[in-house]
Amino acid sequence: MAAINQRKKKLIAHAIASLKTKTSNHQNTHSAIKASFQPVQLKALTAAALTLPGLLQSPAMAADEEVSFSYGHYQEGERKLFGAQSAFSPIEVESVQGSGKWKLTDRIKFAFNYQQDTWGGATPIATAPLGSGGNSGFNGTPGSQNTIGGATPRTNPDGTAYFDNQSNIYRGVTNTQSGVTTFSRDKFVHTLSEASPEVRKQGDFKLSYEWDDAAVDVGGGISLEDDYESRFGSLNTRWDFNQKQTTLNVGLSYTNSDTNATIDHDFTGYYSADEDYDPIQRGVGSTGKNILTGKKQDWSASLGLTQVLNKSAMIEAGLSFTRSTGYMENPYKAVSIAFIDPLAQDSCAGTIQGLQCGTIGALFEQRPDERNQWAGNLRFIQHIAPLDAALHASYRIFSDDWGITSHTFDADWVQPLGQGWSVTPRIRYYSQDQADFYTPLLTTNQGSTNNVIDPVRGPVFVDLNNPNSPNYYDDINFQFVPDGDLIGIGPFGNALLDEKGRPLSQAEIDNLSGLGNKTTPFDRNKLPKNFSSDHRLSGYGALSGGVTVTKQFAKGIALDLGFEYYTHQGSLKIGGGGEGSFADFDYWTANAALRVDLAALSYNGSSIEHAHHNHHSHGAHAPAGVMFDHMLPKAGDMMAGYRYMYSGQSGTMLNGDRAVNDATLIANGCGGNPCYLTSSSMAMHMHMLDLMYAPTDWLTLMLMPQFMDMDMEMRDLEGGSQRITNDQGNITGGNSNLGQHVTHHLQNGHETGGIGDLGMYALFKLFDDGIHHVHITTGFSAPTANVDIKLRRNHKIDGGFIHYGMQLGSGTWDFKPSVTYTGHLNDWSWGAQANGTVRMESQNESGYRLGDMFQATAWGNYAMTNWLTASVRGVYTVQGGIAGQFTGSNSDSDNPFINSDGSFTNTLKFGPMDYADSYGGKYWDVGFGLSATVPSGSLAGNRISVEYLHPVSDDVNGYQLERDGSLSATWSKAF
Amino acid sequence: MKLTKTINQTVTCLIFCHLTACANIQPWERGILAKEQMALDPYPLQTQYREHNYGSREGSNGGGSAKGGGCGCY
Repeated sequence: MAAINQRKKKLIAHAIASLKTKTSNHQNTHSAIKASFQPVQLKALTAAALTLPGLLQSPAMAADEEVSFSYGHYQEGERKLFGAQSAFSPIEVESVQGSGKWKLTDRIKFAFNYQQDTWGGATPIATAPLGSGGNSGFNGTPGSQNTIGGATPRTNPDGTAYFDNQSNIYRGVTNTQSGVTTFSRDKFVHTLSEASPEVRKQGDFKLSYEWDDAAVDVGGGISLEDDYESRFGSLNTRWDFNQKQTTLNVGLSYTNSDTNATIDHDFTGYYSADEDYDPIQRGVGSTGKNILTGKKQDWSASLGLTQVLNKSAMIEAGLSFTRSTGYMENPYKAVSIAFIDPLAQDSCAGTIQGLQCGTIGALFEQRPDERNQWAGNLRFIQHIAPLDAALHASYRIFSDDWGITSHTFDADWVQPLGQGWSVTPRIRYYSQDQADFYTPLLTTNQGSTNNVIDPVRGPVFVDLNNPNSPNYYDDINFQFVPDGDLIGIGPFGNALLDEKGRPLSQAEIDNLSGLGNKTTPFDRNKLPKNFSSDHRLSGYGALSGGVTVTKQFAKGIALDLGFEYYTHQGSLKIGGGGEGSFADFDYWTANAALRVDLAALSYNGSSIEHAHHNHHSHGAHAPAGVMFDHMLPKAGDMMAGYRYMYSGQSGTMLNGDRAVNDATLIANGCGGNPCYLTSSSMAMHMHMLDLMYAPTDWLTLMLMPQFMDMDMEMRDLEGGSQRITNDQGNITGGNSNLGQHVTHHLQNGHETGGIGDLGMYALFKLFDDGIHHVHITTGFSAPTANVDIKLRRNHKIDGGFIHYGMQLGSGTWDFKPSVTYTGHLNDWSWGAQANGTVRMESQNESGYRLGDMFQATAWGNYAMTNWLTASVRGVYTVQGGIAGQFTGSNSDSDNPFINSDGSFTNTLKFGPMDYADSYGGKYWDVGFGLSATVPSGSLAGNRISVEYLHPVSDDVNGYQLERDGSLSATWSKAF
Repeated sequence: MKLTKTINQTVTCLIFCHLTACANIQPWERGILAKEQMALDPYPLQTQYREHNYGSREGSNGGGSAKGGGCGCY
């Protein structure tokens, strides 16, 4: 009881202090203090206190001002292929996220979020009977039929599947000695296809305004992918009732998305695309792409209620409705279809066992253009007093008019452990019914093409080489006796009649070079309107579990680590009846997040002193593009920063410092081989975290994790292409799989992304007299980045390593020394730095080594105001060439290309960027920068800098694309 | 119109049923509710990451406010 009174006193004192500072119309605060234990006054005081924003948020809120960075890795397990050899690796996704929220005023908050996912690997594109060999191995080398190199997607494998009258599938295996075919029940398997790495980027924001008992926020953002773009906006309102024991949330949101998916030029041969059903555009652009395009809109409304139940429990209930319209197909998913032609069953080997034959084809999936979705959720949060833990339990029900109903059960146990540690185990169970139109395989009682039969005159014939051919008929009634001259001999030994019933002469028949049955494609009206084999629309259950560990450090820094394992199984579905085990898969994820509570930093008295200190004695910050430019001033100081760098290349190809034309490139740009294409543009984005800590006054330690992504577009070389296409984008250049590969490079830009190399540095102070400062930096870059990224295989040939410049790091341990001088006087500051990179290994795991690098730079800054500084800088860089080359990039007999003239090319190098001697060079740049430091207020000490570097001269090794400017931007906060 | 009325009634009922059913918890009694572990979502970054994975792997994502998320075509 005494303890409770103590607590009351404390809270009241707090409320009064706040009243004093934030409200002016409470003249009776003295009496309130005197009578603070009178219940009546207490109530009044409480009511007053409740009107203060932020004083009493009944639900715990995350920090008001926070900057956070997180990284996540998603790794899928191998898909079940029932014995088929697959060289594909399962899907991996690397995600990085940076976000921040700031209070602009007491009542206005702004939040910004950026995230980026890079993914690559194999994914199911269709489902087919195992016996039809959708994932069968292939023979890698022409002439030698023994190399099984891996799986290749065959959605139209020309296979036959057998069906009994219950539509069960069977496979037939013919004994090579006896010639007897035996039939056994078959099962389904996913057909896998592999994707080269692709990147998604998303930026979004939220602006909110708070009243005493209400809040409104507007948000919006954009998500960009090569093949998909979506824009979204939302409006949410919050009302607090009942002394903030009840909160009502009402929200509305809208999303608008465009699909623009390039379908591989060779895929349309396997898929039966139909303009009436599939929004396909053929022969788009200079490279003749086939693209599927569509638009989608989602409107969503939500209602949520949070209620305090008692001193240690809360409940949240929500209801939402989403209506989606437009193109909701996944453009890369196909549905296998078995054509069981009643007219072709006479020749079916399975008839002796009562089975019917079906030939397998593939169609693009078809989903409804409309989807109405309801979701309801209930969450209960209970404090567990003996352990000071919290149990979060929730249930969600979802139902839509596609026939999917799902149930989700989720439980977390948040257990604080003291000293800033907390551990949260979690379990989740999910179960869904299949969509009405989900099917692993479509069957139809018709042939994939059907002969046209005239009801009176029998089978119809046409000249297949003549698109305007009239119809011809077999003389089924034997009206004429063929004589091989005036009455010619038709395909069945009878006369051939025209529309008017006149027999054709032998000369006329001989003129019909492509005489054959007139056929019609299968009748789409006999198929269901909608169908999909996407296993996400099948019936299944999923069980997942994981743990989050959090450590709250001093000075408002927190680190979260999370791990989760997830398994999707048809047999886990509630009530049974889920999809077969062929669709089962699992994944795990691991992620780490660093959160910096900015408000906690600025409440910390010493940080203001630091900011002050920084501004005066270390105004000599270098422009944004200079790393290792400053040390932390004294022992115990820390700094968190974020650094972004962009660099681009486009325009002309250079040899040395001269521009070269395409003819020169073809002749000389690719060593002894011809060049087939060249890069037309390249962009690199680097995101770096800058974490600094000073254990002593003369030493600063620095850790720099990096995340990067790159993309490159390629173009044809004038007069040199192996690629011969028609205006449909289809290859017509004979048996040239090289030309077909080149088409893939031209139609699909290349993207890579993921973790970069990890930098670890120590900065030592050599000299500092208050005006001049010198320090040296030594450190290492650890090869944490991937340098073995490959392009997906096409046309049964591995794509090989993606270009050297698109690998994410060096792949070697690198030594990175530098020496930096800075000085300042009044409003002026200046500095110079020499830095280098020395590769400490002779080659990396992929067989090459990047060149060493040396850079010298000098700059001058002028402080225009007490918060804004402008800078000018000059940079000279020498970058060495690449030693060695990608393992297997030359004369690899398993990877031959056939040229259009029938000769072989044993190389996976297509353009100058695939040759090691076209890397490195000597460069001059000039830079212009601005730097701003927030001088006061809650964001004091936050520093933002940008710098643009403009290329002045390039002198490149080999043949390289001209450089565009580069941009650097940094944010940092010392504390 | 009828639907709106029904929703209104439901919400009103939800609110007032709670009000009558729940004890009135004074602000100074909310120390436990203000603890970090009692937040509606103690680790929003983690939640966002997990939801994004579920959303691209399950058939009934969505609901609630727009968050983007891309195609999830893989």
